[in-house]
Order: sequence, then C-alpha cells, then structure tokens
Amino acid sequence: MPVAELLIGGILLGGVYALMACGLNLIFGVMRVINFAHGDILAIAALSTVSIAVGFKLPFWVAVVVVPIGCAAFGALIHVLVLRRIEGAPLIMSLLATYALSTILVNVAILIWGGGYSGLPGVLSGSVRLFGINVSTSRLVSFACALGVSLAVWWLLEFTRFGRAVRSVSRAPELASISGIAIERVRLAVFALGTAMAGLAGVLVAPAFAIDPQLGSRFIIKAFAVIIVGGMGSYPGAILAALLLGVIEVVGSYFAGAVIGSAFLFLLMLAVLLIRPRGLLGAGIRA
Amino acid sequence: MSETILAVENVSKRFAGRIALDQVSIDVARGSVTGVIGPNGSGKSTLFNIIAGTLRPDEGRVLVEGRNITSASAAEICGLGVARTFQISRLFAEMTVLENLVAVARGRDDRAAIALAQELLDFLEISDIADRWGAELSYGQRKLVEIARALMLQPKIMLLDEPFAGINPRLQNRIVDHLKALCAKGITVFFIDHEMRIVLKECDLVYVLAEGRLIACGDTQAVRNDAKVLQAYF
Amino acid sequence: MRKINPLGIAGAAGIVALFLPSVGSDYAVSFSIQLLIFLVLAYSWNLIGGYTGYTHFGQVSFFGIGAYVGSLLIFHWDVPWYLAAVVAAFAGAVTAIPLGGAMLRLKGPFFAVGMFGLARVLEAFALGFDSITQGGTGIYLKPVSDLRPLYYFAAAVAAIMLLLTWKLDNSRLGLKLLAIREDEDAAESLGIPTTRLKIGAFVASAIAPAAMGSLYAVYLGFIDPPTAFASNIELTTIAMVLLGGMGTVLGPLCGAVVLSVVNEVLWANYPQIYLASVGGILLLAVLFMPRGIVNLGTKSGWLAVGRPLFRRLAARHGQAS
Repeated sequence: MPVAELLIGGILLGGVYALMACGLNLIFGVMRVINFAHGDILAIAALSTVSIAVGFKLPFWVAVVVVPIGCAAFGALIHVLVLRRIEGAPLIMSLLATYALSTILVNVAILIWGGGYSGLPGVLSGSVRLFGINVSTSRLVSFACALGVSLAVWWLLEFTRFGRAVRSVSRAPELASISGIAIERVRLAVFALGTAMAGLAGVLVAPAFAIDPQLGSRFIIKAFAVIIVGGMGSYPGAILAALLLGVIEVVGSYFAGAVIGSAFLFLLMLAVLLIRPRGLLGAGIRA
Repeated sequence: MSETILAVENVSKRFAGRIALDQVSIDVARGSVTGVIGPNGSGKSTLFNIIAGTLRPDEGRVLVEGRNITSASAAEICGLGVARTFQISRLFAEMTVLENLVAVARGRDDRAAIALAQELLDFLEISDIADRWGAELSYGQRKLVEIARALMLQPKIMLLDEPFAGINPRLQNRIVDHLKALCAKGITVFFIDHEMRIVLKECDLVYVLAEGRLIACGDTQAVRNDAKVLQAYF
Repeated sequence: MRKINPLGIAGAAGIVALFLPSVGSDYAVSFSIQLLIFLVLAYSWNLIGGYTGYTHFGQVSFFGIGAYVGSLLIFHWDVPWYLAAVVAAFAGAVTAIPLGGAMLRLKGPFFAVGMFGLARVLEAFALGFDSITQGGTGIYLKPVSDLRPLYYFAAAVAAIMLLLTWKLDNSRLGLKLLAIREDEDAAESLGIPTTRLKIGAFVASAIAPAAMGSLYAVYLGFIDPPTAFASNIELTTIAMVLLGGMGTVLGPLCGAVVLSVVNEVLWANYPQIYLASVGGILLLAVLFMPRGIVNLGTKSGWLAVGRPLFRRLAARHGQAS
C-alpha cells in the first residue's frame, strides 16, 4: 500500500474539506442554520470558475478574487430575502428553506452548465515532488490556499473585534445585543463570509477535480461529517477532522473503490454520533 | 411524626469548580407542604433539578419512599409517582389546554383521561380556557395549566418550580388554596421559590438555602425570625 | 371560516378512486399510480415528520430499499409482484428498526441531514455492490401488461395510510407524538415514552414506502440507483406535506394533488425546471404559508393544527366548552 501517497493525497483533499466545513460551522455556530445549499454554492463557484477561465479566457486568479466576492453578495441576498424572515421559526424551517434553495441552485446550474462534467485542464497543471512523491500542483495549491484561508478566518475569530462580536452572538445573543453589538449585521456578515468561503473552496476545487452540478450534494454530506467528527462549533476541530477524513476517504477508496470510499465518511460520522457525540474537540451539541 | 416520603441526603453539586450545593439534606413528610426558599443563586434550582432527575449530584443521594432515585431518569422518576412543573412553562404550544392534559394521561381509557382532564380544569377553575391554544395563554394561565398537567399523572408528590414567581397576589393566593386542597387529598407538595411572603405563610416546613448551603430549617415562625435568614435576604 | 367536511372530501375521492380504472384511459391510470405512490410517501413522511416533529430528508432511503428488495425477488425468483411488495414492506420495517434506533439519537437538524446522508450512502452502496444489485446498469423487469392491478394495490395502501392517519389524529397516541414534536424533554419528564414512540413512528413511516418502492420498480419495469433513491422523489414528498399541512389528515392529500399535477406537466420534458419549481414552491411555502393549504387563514404560528374530531369528542364528554 503506497502509504505516503495515500496520506498526502488525503491531506490535500482534507484541506478543501476544511475550508468548506469551517464556513458551514461558522454559519451554524452563529445562526443555528444548517446551510444545505452550502455545497451547491461550492459547485456553482467551481463551474463559474471554469466559465471564467475557459469561457471568458481570463486568468485563474481573476476567478479566485471575483467568485468568492460574488458568493458573498449572493449569501447576503439569501440572508436578507430568506433567512431573516424565518429567524424566529423552529430550526426545521431554516433547514427546509436551505434544502429548497439547494434544489433550486442545483437545477439552475444544470440548466446553465449542463449536467456533465467539466474541468480546468491547463490551469496549475503538472506536478511537484514532495516527500518523494509526485503531487499534482493544482491539489497542492488548493490545499495551501484552503488551509491558509481557514486559518486566517480562525485568526479573525479569535483575535479581532469582529471575531469577538461573532463569538458573543454565537454564545449568547441576548447578552450580545445588550452590550451594543448589532446582531443583525453580525449575522449578515457571518453568512456572507461563510458563503464566500464555500465559494473560494469551489474555485480551488475546479483545477484539481472533475466538477459537475451535483458536486454540491456530495460535498455537503462530507462537510457535515467533518463537522460532526470534529465537534459542532469547534473551529479547530473542523480543520483537524477535515484532514483526518480526507485521509480516510482516500484510503477507503483505494481499498473499496471511490463510491464506497466516500460512504466511509458517513459511517464514521454515524459511529461518532453514537459513541462520542461531542466529536473530537466539540463542547456538546446545543440544538 | 409522619413518614418521610422524599429524602435528600448530603447532596453536593459543582459546576465548573463553583459550588452550587454543599451537603444539603432535606426531609419531606408525606402529605405536607414543604418549601425551599433562597435568594437567586442559592442553588435551589439545582436542588430541584436533582430531585426531578434532570441533573445528577456529585455526592449524596435522593430517595423517594425509601427508593434510591439518584441515578434515575426523569421518566423513571415520573413513573414512581412524582410529577413536576417547570419554572418557565413548557406547555405544548400547538395543542389546546385540554389536549395538553390528555396527552400525558396514563392508562388506555380515553374517556377516563378526558374526564380527569376536565375534572382538573374544574378544580383549578380554568375550564373556560380548555379550548385555547397553549401558545395563546397568559403567564398566569400557563402556570395553572402546568399544575393541572402535572396533576394528570395522579402523583404522590408534586414538585413545583417557582409556582409563585411573577404572578399577582390574588392568583398566588388562589394557587395556595389549590395546593392546600391537594394536601388534604394526601398529595405531598414540595416547591422552591423566592417569594418569601407566601412561603413563610403557608408551609408546614421551610428550608432556607443560601450559596448552596442550608442555613435554616423549621416551621415558618422559626425561620421568619432566624438571624441568618434575615442576613441572607436583606 | 367555512368548514369543509373532511369526510365528504374523502368520500368523493374514494368514489373517484374506485371507478377510475374502469372508465379512465391508460394514461389516467398511469398518472394515478404515480399520484398514489406520492400520496403514500407523503402520508408516511407525515407520521415521523409532521406529527412527531422529526422532519428529515431521507424518506427515499426506504423507498429505495423496497425497490431493490422487490426487484431482486422478481428478477431472481419470479416472485409475483404483490408478494414482492409485501416482502419489501417487511424489509423496510426490519431495516428501519436498527436505523431508527441509531439515527433518532440525533436531534432536529442533525437527524434531518443524517437521514439525507443515509439515502446518499444507500445509493452509493447500490451502485458499488454491483455483484448483488447490478450497480449502474440497473435491473430490468418483465414489463407488466395491465397496470390496473398495480393501481388497486397502490390505492388500497393509500387508503390504509389515510385511514391510519385519521385514526392517529384523533387519538391520544397522536397527542403524544405531537407532544414529542412540541417539547420532547418536557414530554419525557411527564412520563411519555418518547424513545419507544419515536422509533415506532419511524418504522411506521418506512413500511409503506418500501412497498411502494417495489411497486414502482414493477411499474417502470426497471430500477437503478439514481431512480430508486431519486432526489426528485424526496423533494416532492416533503414539498407535498409542507404545502398541504404537516401533521394533519388532509394536508398530504392536498399537497399531493397540487404537486402531482406540476410533476406531470413538467417532469418528463423539463426535469430541471420541474425540480427548481418544486424547490421554489417549497421555499415560498416555508416563507409565506408554513402551516400549509389546510390551514390557510387560521391563526398565525409555524405549524399546522388538526384534530377537530378530538375536540368534538371531548366536548361531548363534559360541559360544552
């Protein structure tokens, strides 16, 4: 078994999962909303990247900048039009709303881009020698960016005033509003930020993997598994779990094929939920 | 000296290093009205939740009719004849008052359940709101429905979580009358509250908690004049 | 507010249903079979999602399990389709017990998304274990010459589900499930056996869909993983119940009728537009009428209410309220 290759491949995959899961976790932590559409935003971002690079023939880095901003704007729109209206409702309503949104996004994506696979050949192509193994440049760059941004957002949450505001809204909204924090604006900013992170993850996925509109529903389950295993509400836990699950998926796929390999993640998630619901670093699920 | 139906023995509880309860012991006699009072932060809610089974103590035990229920679940304790109300009422919002009551009724007989519910609504003088939705009720009405719902379980012991908090004196007196009527039927009433006036007037036995410790215990006369109690409260 | 007699509606629907195969065209029968399958799925989901409050996105899991169990029985051993459907129903119940026991430990949104994951995993298994399931190629069954017996079977199951829901809505068991939905912890501390009831509702919600899955495979003459675990089916089921009214007797019926028409008009030719539209309908329903058609114009709040018969029963017992 090519241990090093699988290990590195898994970690690289995990980087992207981390970025996606962190965005999802952030949104859940602050707004108690599970953004079902998160994966589809990633998919649309990836497809948009292909359009930008191949269709409009613009450089890849344009997509890296433009797409996440576009996603943030889109996220803000969703927040204002949909999520704000259902803030007082039972949790299930926001879930149904984002589920509905996810369906709309997937199918609009299929209508625009067709149902088949696309990719970005030629962008970040080639490979690099790392620890004695050939690693594709695109995956390495994806990983570096994804992990970098995840850590940057973590820094933002821990060490800036905005981050403190976010954390207090997440833990005790009533107290936060009394101490003068504009809760609505924080929620809006967080949702836009989380969506932008999904968008960036999508851009980074585009050169490294084959993408199609259904990518989203495959990713959302994995992001969810990552958050559960890492522990709901734990940002570092999500990063750690993402890397771990990336490795597990790659190893599982090696032995049992890609299809069943990805099912391993869900089985692990289930095992965690049954045996240790707190996850690796979580503080317990406050539903 | 009537028998003890509920006994709390040397119960202690800590939350993240902070002592919530420190070696608290309580004896509740069958058919009596027993109250635990204390200022906010004294640990009475913690004590209540330990008795009701939603919290486990770090030390000590709780006995109902001699049976150790310290590690029993809330549902199991309920099965032993203990019913509780909630301080912030947890009525079933999308059901009517009548349905709230009938939902928790025991046994298979529908008619008997409905009849019992209506009887309890009469007893608490709230029959006129039987068809109102749980979500529509006023604060005071909620309290009464909470009590009625707990009584549907035909319990031996009623645990009431701050039943007098936040309601006007007339309603408070009404509730007191109902509780006394329950006692007359042999049901043991145990409650926590910080409304001193009511508690000191109507209890057979009063315990006073402050900062997690019992500082006084006795009938209302003794407690009212106890120096430590006065110090804790004023 | 006008009071519509539910019995009248059910009666009328029943008469139409009974006579349709004899007077209707083949197309009408075919459309009706689809409608009936969705009806059964909607009523089943209503049990665990609407009444017990454990909404989830994995209803199609049991549909798919039933589809495969039934198909394999027919394909390998020539079992008659109605028997295959019954065995499939058993398979649904049997798998629902352990799955329910595990998944129902999750609360609220975790349960919902967990079930979604379950459906995707089952689809992956169906694809991956192709030595058993023929994987992506799918299983081809002998086409059925006459759809009418399938129709009667589906209609019978739908009628049973409707009747069961009606009985539940007017029983104390129904109230207990609603109590779990409203406040599970309070219900638990007042002596309601929440775990037992939750699992019961979950298993009950798995039986009929499994049978319908098997029926669907026979109806199509074919089954493969994307068909058995189709997101179209999941979405439509949920939208039907929400649109019609969760936790009510007539809600799923209303929703099923409305969405079946939309399905029929759009699905075959414009599947993406259909799915996006149903998503749009669901979203609008959540935003503007979360209590469903059945409760249009009633008091504001987030969830639907039913149980008129129960209230009349109670009023009969004591003084008029």
